[in-house]
Amino acid sequence: MIARTALVVLAFCLPAFAGVTPQPNPTKPAIEATNRSVIRVNATSQAYDFFRPWTKKSPGTRRGLGTLIDGDRILVTAELIANHTFIELEKAATAEKSSATVERVDYESNLAILKPADPAFLAGMKPLALDKGVRVGDRATVLQLEQNGEIAQTIGTVTSILVSGYPLDNLGLLIFRLSAPMQQRDGSFTLPVVRNGKLLGVLMRYDARSQTADIISTPVISHFLAEAAKPAYGGFARAGIAFSSTRDPQLRRFVGLNEPGGVYVTEVLKDGPAEMAGLRVGDVILAVDGRAIDQDGNYDDPDWGRIAFSHITNTIKHPGETANFRVFRDGTILEVPVKLEPRDRSKIISESHIVDRAPRYVILGGVVFMELSRAYLQEWGGDWPKDAPQRLVFLDAFQNELPAGKDKIVFISQILPTPMTLGYENLENLVVTKLNGQEIRTLDDVVSAAQSPVDGFQKIELEEDPGLIILDAQAIEANRDALIRKYSLPALQRL
Amino acid sequence: MFRILILIFLATGAAYSAPVARSLVRIEATSQEPNYKAPWNPGEVSGGVGAGFIISGNRIMTNAHVVSNARFLTVSKEGDPRPFPARVLHIAHDCDLALLTVEDPEFFKGTTALEFGGIPLIESTVSVYGYPIGGSRLSVTQGIVSRIDFQAYSHSGMDSHLTIQIDAAINPGNSGGPVMQNGKVVGVAFQGYSGDVAQNVGYMIPTPVARRFLKDVEDGHYDRYVDLALSYQSLFNPAARRALGLADDDRGVLVGSVFGGGSSEGIVFPGDVLLAIDGLPIASDATIPMDNDSVPLAEVVERKFKGDSVTLDILRAGKPLQVTVPLNGPWPFTLHANAYDEDPKFVMFGGLIFQPVDENWMAAHEPADLRLRYTFDFFTEDKLYKERPEIVVLSGVLADPVNAFASDFRHGIVDEINGRKIRRLADVAEEFAKPAEYYVIKMAGVGRPIVLERQAVEAARERILSRYGVTKEQNL
Repeated sequence: MIARTALVVLAFCLPAFAGVTPQPNPTKPAIEATNRSVIRVNATSQAYDFFRPWTKKSPGTRRGLGTLIDGDRILVTAELIANHTFIELEKAATAEKSSATVERVDYESNLAILKPADPAFLAGMKPLALDKGVRVGDRATVLQLEQNGEIAQTIGTVTSILVSGYPLDNLGLLIFRLSAPMQQRDGSFTLPVVRNGKLLGVLMRYDARSQTADIISTPVISHFLAEAAKPAYGGFARAGIAFSSTRDPQLRRFVGLNEPGGVYVTEVLKDGPAEMAGLRVGDVILAVDGRAIDQDGNYDDPDWGRIAFSHITNTIKHPGETANFRVFRDGTILEVPVKLEPRDRSKIISESHIVDRAPRYVILGGVVFMELSRAYLQEWGGDWPKDAPQRLVFLDAFQNELPAGKDKIVFISQILPTPMTLGYENLENLVVTKLNGQEIRTLDDVVSAAQSPVDGFQKIELEEDPGLIILDAQAIEANRDALIRKYSLPALQRL
Repeated sequence: MFRILILIFLATGAAYSAPVARSLVRIEATSQEPNYKAPWNPGEVSGGVGAGFIISGNRIMTNAHVVSNARFLTVSKEGDPRPFPARVLHIAHDCDLALLTVEDPEFFKGTTALEFGGIPLIESTVSVYGYPIGGSRLSVTQGIVSRIDFQAYSHSGMDSHLTIQIDAAINPGNSGGPVMQNGKVVGVAFQGYSGDVAQNVGYMIPTPVARRFLKDVEDGHYDRYVDLALSYQSLFNPAARRALGLADDDRGVLVGSVFGGGSSEGIVFPGDVLLAIDGLPIASDATIPMDNDSVPLAEVVERKFKGDSVTLDILRAGKPLQVTVPLNGPWPFTLHANAYDEDPKFVMFGGLIFQPVDENWMAAHEPADLRLRYTFDFFTEDKLYKERPEIVVLSGVLADPVNAFASDFRHGIVDEINGRKIRRLADVAEEFAKPAEYYVIKMAGVGRPIVLERQAVEAARERILSRYGVTKEQNL
């Protein structure tokens, strides 16, 4: 009896002892190894000013911590080096510096590879391998740099592994979510997350209030690196569908669905892989590549648990590969092979981001023409969906519903007042339909239509009031230089 | 301090007491706001005080906003403590005016009907009478006429009419009170700015607007304002003037859009240049000469009535022509105006509440849904009324197992029910009244429908009605 009680107590105490007794710190050796694998990255960037598309905003510097991976390459987030004008690598301990170039950048997966200008610069450093097989509940270490160049480490716990929208393009890719009490430190734009001396992922955003960090996951990094190794970079594919849950039993009965799972297709992107393969709104997707899809669109991944099936189409599969969709339609089950392709960015009407390149514009006698992009709307700040010109916000939001044949939305962003534009000074953000009777689908159309004035006038037709703007074509020609001089314009167009 | 107040009181007292005090009325209104979130419920009851003045025919003129949504009205005369029950004869929400009367003939004994004057001159002095905050007795303030212009009337939120700005203090409680000059009414005090926006800016409704209201109701019915229902822009640009075939004479405005269902549809077209209205030349800043002043060209139409017409001199494709626009009633789509004295329309089915969207609904719900905001904001401009004269939305969901998966669709626009295009709320009621195994509700721009099984809806009906205290299932 007594012995038994003692046993119970001992067993009860064991975990407590384990916590109190100083144990060898499992992350200690990892830090020593990673010390020689991380490097400070200082990126000077300068974005274009979409309100004055001929100029750039004042430059700023972002700092982050890159990770050395094999092949003398530095892995960082794409956001760190977006719109860069100069990138510098800096060794944390010695402050030695080297400039760097971008070997590959992908804004959908928010990843970039940098190469030092001096190949010998990284000598003595040790590349990190990718960690495989993290589980919810595992611990991982976020690395940051102290002012003095020492590595600061924050240990956190992986709280969930999920597919979620990545920052710039909202593409659904795998994320490790880490709960970690991090401190604000200089240069936290990109931070390596390590485990057992290996790279677990790259921290891309941190919410200080909930103390959660979103980490670009190893499968996404592997996919990116595999694509970067190919002669032609293919990026990340997507099926081009939106779906909703089929939890509603009334909906299931109405559709005649007796299968246990499945998701209801609500949207099929025009000319996207799913549409090409013949998928339709109203189809119920039961399985992808033989993996059963539940009512919320998740499947059982052997590595990551229950995650959204877009992980299969967007990350496991590479562009050009095929995913087999099992679809329930009108009481029958179909097998639909979908050849996965990345989004054709040239077909996007209003682009979600314009980085590393200049926005296009044409100025005709002081009238500034641009093509609508979300980047333009975002110039109105954090609350842009409410603050930006509403018609443009709506056109951006519902761009996939516009009638066919719309390549871009060309609009007058502002008017630089000149004697030619008298009476039009206050017009801004007006969508252009025609110039001199010619249909306007892109800015190139503006340039070509402006070559043929009607009876000596440039006639700009608008979708909304005032409906029509008329300018003197000859006066525009005669005043080209004066306009350039007066407003210090580098050029009257950039295409 | 106290002495100064008394002095002012005495000095002004002598001036106003004789003519105006016998015409001035204090109005106490008990009103009930409609409830746009639980439309079967009567709304909150509140009270307010305004002013009014007696005019010919035993009538009292005041602001529409003083007596809007009124459930009970009393009026009392200056110097007479008795409140008399009153009722609304006519109310014009588009120009914020109302006429009341009192059944008890006793009320009008010893009162004087005020007469209307003209438009006072800029810089001339006017006196404002009313019952503003600061005390309960009659108050008089004095100021000068600062500006005569078109202004938005905030009561409807959509209409603009001629307005006179004065620098006399106008405060809550002044509403409906007469603004006097030389013993005649030259305006009705109605709106102003709060002190943190602008100082000494008060507005009154001028007599042309008041006279128009009185004339409109002569047939016993208020028809509202008529409108050309088109938009036009100034024409200053020399190149534009030459291209349109106009002389360099500062005349003409360019028509931008013509609204469907309005007076000008099919008569005036975008791209036309308006040169004259009823023979009055239109300047390139859209003004016309009238009453020794230059006023917006809309003033010609402002003074007309339903059934009248207006002639327009137009330049179309370089050729002059004259057209006649019959002003056949007001613009039919008033969803951007605040509505009063109306019970919110709705249909409740399976715990789903469907309502037509208007300004009141938007103010109550403040939806973030972009598609709904677009459809509402651009309803007129993009001619969206052609597809759906009423924007019917899923306004709310009374949570119940029958609609457990419908809450994601809140504030969506109802596009189809069982294959029928929904153009008005009545369509919704009709479709739900038809027997069907499933009711399939398709929302605009949403790929997945809401599906309700008839059996489930019927089983849930009593449960939802009693649980949520729903006293009425529809108001069409």
